[in-house]
Formats: sequence, structure tokens, C-alpha cells
Amino acid sequence: MINVEQLIFEYPNLRALDEVSFHIPQGSITALVGPNGAGKSTLLRCMAALDQPMSGNIRINDIDVLEHPRECHRVIGYLSDFFGLYDRLTVRQCLHYVARAQGIAEDDCAAAIDKVSSGLYINDRLDVLAGTLSRGLRQRVAIGQAIIHSPRVVLLDEPASGLDPEARHELAELFLNLQKQGMTLLVSSHILAELEAYSTDMLVLREGKIIEQVAIKTTTHAHTQDFKLTLATPVDNLAAVLQAIDTLTVLKTEGNQAAWLQIQGDSVQHHQLLTTLLSHNLPVCEFAKITSNLQDAYLDTIRHRA
Amino acid sequence: MNLNPEFQRQLQLEFSQARLVGVPLILGIIFTLTYFLDNQTHNEVSITAQTALGLFLLMVSFWGARQAVDSVLEEQRSHTWDTQRLSALDPWTMVCGKLLGSTLVVWYGGVICLLVYGLAADNLSNLLWVYGYAITSGLLVQNISLLLSLIALRKGQINSNSVITGLAIIAAFTIGSWIMPLSSNPQALQAMPDASWYGISTTSQFLTLMTVCWALFWCVVGNYRLMTQELRIRTLPWVWFAFALFLIVYAGGFIEAQHFSEYFYTTAFAICLTLSYLIVFTEYNEPMRIKRLLTYITQENWQRAAEELPLWCVTFVLAAVVALPLSFTHPADIEELHVYPITILLFLLRDIGIFLFFSFGKNPQRAFSLTLLSFVLLYGVLPGIFAAADLKAVSALFFPLVADSMIISIICMGVQSALVWYVLYQRWQESV
Repeated sequence: MINVEQLIFEYPNLRALDEVSFHIPQGSITALVGPNGAGKSTLLRCMAALDQPMSGNIRINDIDVLEHPRECHRVIGYLSDFFGLYDRLTVRQCLHYVARAQGIAEDDCAAAIDKVSSGLYINDRLDVLAGTLSRGLRQRVAIGQAIIHSPRVVLLDEPASGLDPEARHELAELFLNLQKQGMTLLVSSHILAELEAYSTDMLVLREGKIIEQVAIKTTTHAHTQDFKLTLATPVDNLAAVLQAIDTLTVLKTEGNQAAWLQIQGDSVQHHQLLTTLLSHNLPVCEFAKITSNLQDAYLDTIRHRA
Repeated sequence: MNLNPEFQRQLQLEFSQARLVGVPLILGIIFTLTYFLDNQTHNEVSITAQTALGLFLLMVSFWGARQAVDSVLEEQRSHTWDTQRLSALDPWTMVCGKLLGSTLVVWYGGVICLLVYGLAADNLSNLLWVYGYAITSGLLVQNISLLLSLIALRKGQINSNSVITGLAIIAAFTIGSWIMPLSSNPQALQAMPDASWYGISTTSQFLTLMTVCWALFWCVVGNYRLMTQELRIRTLPWVWFAFALFLIVYAGGFIEAQHFSEYFYTTAFAICLTLSYLIVFTEYNEPMRIKRLLTYITQENWQRAAEELPLWCVTFVLAAVVALPLSFTHPADIEELHVYPITILLFLLRDIGIFLFFSFGKNPQRAFSLTLLSFVLLYGVLPGIFAAADLKAVSALFFPLVADSMIISIICMGVQSALVWYVLYQRWQESV
């Protein structure tokens, strides 16, 4: 769906994007993460054909973005981190204008407005002036403007900034809904916990380079789980003791008192393994599944690359 | 009905009920007052007619210019410009929507003023001319304002409203000084001299109106072109080339037939020089653009390179083409100054280099003022000091048009240009 190859974007004395390459599959929700100044907004603006890179290729829905920027505009929806609304127009007028500007016929505008406002829970605010809305509601209207023409790809720059937890939850639901409708989303954010609720992939950008692209919600090997084993007191040659047990794989040990294990099987087999560990006279005080989240994945990547 | 969405939005924003009622109400009060004044004073010239025309000019120029400017710069200030750039609207729809939609309320008031003028004017012999001049001039001022605001947007100078509106006020007074006598003096048109264009005899009022119409046409083309670039539609610089050729051909029509061959190249050269200066000061000059241009040239991607080519290059090359035959026709000297076309071309090259040098610096906003300061020093102060000290040869180093030898003047200017462009190259390398 989205292919970026060797993309270079330069500001005076600064290479903001340095030979960035990645592929985003159709129907995915990709979290674009990275520290401030990593080049996230620049990347999104280049992909939206708003800024012109120095070199490279961007293909969205088989459209060469740099060669045919206007064709790209037809298939994408973009929300800037510094978006604005027409404060003196009502929400309905704002949505109507964007719908018409995106080529939706006058007769179809009402249905498009109805659909998008229902999805964003703003159908009770359609006749309110946009300038009087709260930050969260403004954000929803702006997202509504970005998706009213049902684009194939939606690029969102910090869409949840300034939203309260409830609004963020609703936003996550909306994104999952858009994904179900076949849209491909690329969402940049600093709030990793928020991205975790809906992201299928993560793209880590640092100092203008893609340093990691990982699938977050892919199914791993059936019945394989990572566990952490913590002992009350250290045990000599812990790694050797554990490696002798054939129903587990030792990922790593720490100070003969903690170990990270990979275990196959269901909860009955987990119970049997715990019994085995205790039968080896290991002073187990903790035996728990490791739930990897986006934050861990991101921090692991950053640490690994540092 | 599928109305132009941008036009419709501008109407929703600008054509409020309050304005719909307020504009005729206020104008009605003013005209009631002038009507009573007319009855009391019994002037030869109708105060109501003069007021109506004056108000029309003020409204379409001052208010109209402000509306046109805001229709673009306000988008950037309120962060809605990206939404518009990403829309499916074509440049023509955008230009028409912004220009007509934002100024419709102004024309609503303007039409009332013109109707009152038509009813109150004592002298109706010039009515159509007055209407023609007033409407085309008003449209021209609004189009120029939109053009300047698009240029300001491209250069990131989004708070330029007051400057552009100030220029519009000057334009309003200039137009007023031209139209007002027509409205008050029935003989004003007849008093104007006849004119000819490529041997076609006509009246100067008709030529003036045609010139305003052509200016309006090119302004609309300019607006379309700038909007095209804003919407990221790829363009080649042929419109600028066509505009330069048009000006050369159009201005050539005003040269007397017997002096045509003598002055045509001079006129063409002067036009190319003026356009080069004009465009280098108005275009957005960023170092990264030059880097992209050089990258495309290295890749032999000529289409892309032409898209990135600064427009001053087009008129500079055109000026160079004209300068060669001009050098052999020995144009007349102006007092002590010798007109050496190649030297003048090198002046242009040096001046462009100076402006780009400041544009590529840390404070490009000051590039224009610093360049003007440099020009004062290079054209006035330094040659003036040496000339005053009777050191003509040294003075010629800075201002080679006083040198008696063309070769020496070319060498002096060539050295200056080379130095400036060397320093410019150093700065460009530092900034990319």
C-alpha cells in the first residue's frame, strides 16, 4: 500500500530524513514513533505531497507521490499536528466545505457528513460554531475533515494530543473502525500507551533514520510464551539448572536470581513446569508471563540502537 | 447546484446578513447627506456623484484588497491552508472562489455606488468610460493584492496585510486621480492626445483601458500560476517567458515607426532587466532549491531541473540574447555614462548575486533592505567619493559605465560579479 524508498529531505544544514525506506501493508495501523525532532512530521508531510524531498521515492496506492502529487491528494487524508478549523463556520459547514472541496457531489454531502459525524460522536454538535468547540471536539472535527472523502490512506500527526482519556479511547475505536473499512493508517504520536490500543505495526524514527519496523500484533508461535522467573535467593549455576529442564528455553539470566524463559504449552503445562522448578529446590518467589507492550518494544529498540 | 465550494465558503464567511443590510444602509445615509448638500450648495459638480465614485474606488481598492489578501494569508495564519492544498479543487476554482467570493460584498456596495453615480452625475457623456475604468481598475487592484499575498505566503511573510493594503490605497488614489477628472469634466476625454500602437491610430483613453485589461489578464494568469504551485502541480517557467515576450512586443508598439529598429532592442533589454530585478526580489530564494536544481542537473533530469529553475534565469538569458545585437548598434550615451549592454548585464548578475548572498544568510527577511543598502554604496557613495576626488579611473572600478573603454568596463564588472558569485557560492555551501 505504502512504499517509501531512500527518501532524503533536507533543511538548511540539517538532513531531516536520511535515506528512509519502509513498506506499510494495506489495512494496517502503523505507529510512527520517535523523539522530538526525529523527522516524523516531515516524513508525513512528504508522504502527503505537501513538502518536496531532495530525492527518493514514495508510492501510495500505486501512485508515485513525487511525480503526481495531486493524484496522491485524492487518495489520502491528512491531519497536521497544527491543524486549524474555520472558526466562524458551523461544524456542518466545515464538513460540507471539505466534502465539496474533495469532490463529493452536493447531493451526497449530507450522507457523508452524517456518516463521519456519527463515527466521531459529533452529530449533536453539527450546528455549533467550530470556534466555540473544546480542544477534543475540534480534534474530532479535524479528523472528520481528513476522512470525509473515505481516503485509502490516512496520515495523522499527533491526533490525540490534548485529548482526555475518554476521547482517546473513542479515537482508538474510530481508528479500528477505519481499519475495518479497509483504510491504512499511519499515526505519529508521543503517547505510546495510546498507540498500543490500535497499532498493528511500529515504525521507529530517530535522527531522520528508520531504526526499526516491527509488527506488534502478529501472532507468535502457537502456545509460546515468555516468562520471568525470580528467586528469593541466588542459586549457583542457575542457567545450567534451568537448561537441564527440556520444556523451557532460557533466554537470559541475571545474577543467578532471575531468568527470562520461553515456554511452550498451555496453563496446565505451565503449572507442571512450576512444579518441576520447585522440585529442583529453586526458591521461586515469582513466575509470571511477560506482557510485551509498545513502550517496551520502543525502549528496547532505542536501547539496542544506542 | 454544485457551486464552487471555495466561493460558497467565502460567501458564508463574508456575506453575512448584517453586511447585506448594513452596506446599503450606511451608503444610503451618506448619499442622503450628499443629496441635501447638493440641494443647498448648487455646485456645478454633483457632490453625490463625486462621493459615489470616490466611495466606489475606496471600497473596491482598500476594502477589496484587504478581503483578497485575507482570503489567502488568513488561511495560513489559522492553519487551514494545508486542508485547502490537499483538496481536489483545481487552481482556477481556488483563484475564482477566493477572489470573487471574498470580494462579493465589496462589489455589492460598489454596484450601489456606481448606480448612484449614474443617477446623480450631471455629465453622462463619459459614463461608460468611467464605468469601464472604475471596474477594470478595481479588479486589477484586487488581483494584484491576491498576487502579492500569494507571493508573501510563499516567502512565509504571512503578516504582510498592512503592506499590501497600503499599496492598494496608493493604487486607489492613483486610479482616482485618473478617473475623477473624467467624471467632473465632460471635455476631459476629448482633451486627451491621440495615440498609436504599431501604426494603428487610436485614442489614449482606449489604449489606457486596453493596458489595464492586459495587466488584469496577466495578473489573473499570475494568480493561477502561483496557486498551481501552491497546490503542488508541477510547472515549467514558460509563463514567465511568455510574459516577458508579451511585454517586449506590447511596449514595442509604442515606439515611433521611424525609430523602431533603433530603440526596439533597447526597450526589450530594459524590460528584461526590470523583470529580472523584479522577479529575483519577489521569488522565494532558498538554498535548498538550488541544491535540488543541481541534483536534478547531475541526474540529467531536465524536466525537474526546469521546474526548479529560478525565474530570473529566464529573463537574464533573454536579456543576454538581446544584449548581443544591442552591443553592435552603439546606443546613445547618456551624458557621461556609456551604455554598454554586456556591462549592464554583468551589473544585473552582480546585483542578483548580492541579493542571493543575503537571502541565503541567517536572516533572509533582511535580504531586501541589506541589498538596497549595498546598492546605495556601490552605485552612489563609493563611485561618488572617487569622482569627487577626480579619480575617475578608480570610480570606474565601482561604476564601469563611466569608463571610456567597453572592454575595460566589462573586465571591471566581470571581476566584481565573479567575486560576488564566489562569495555567494561559499555561503551557499555553508547553508546546505
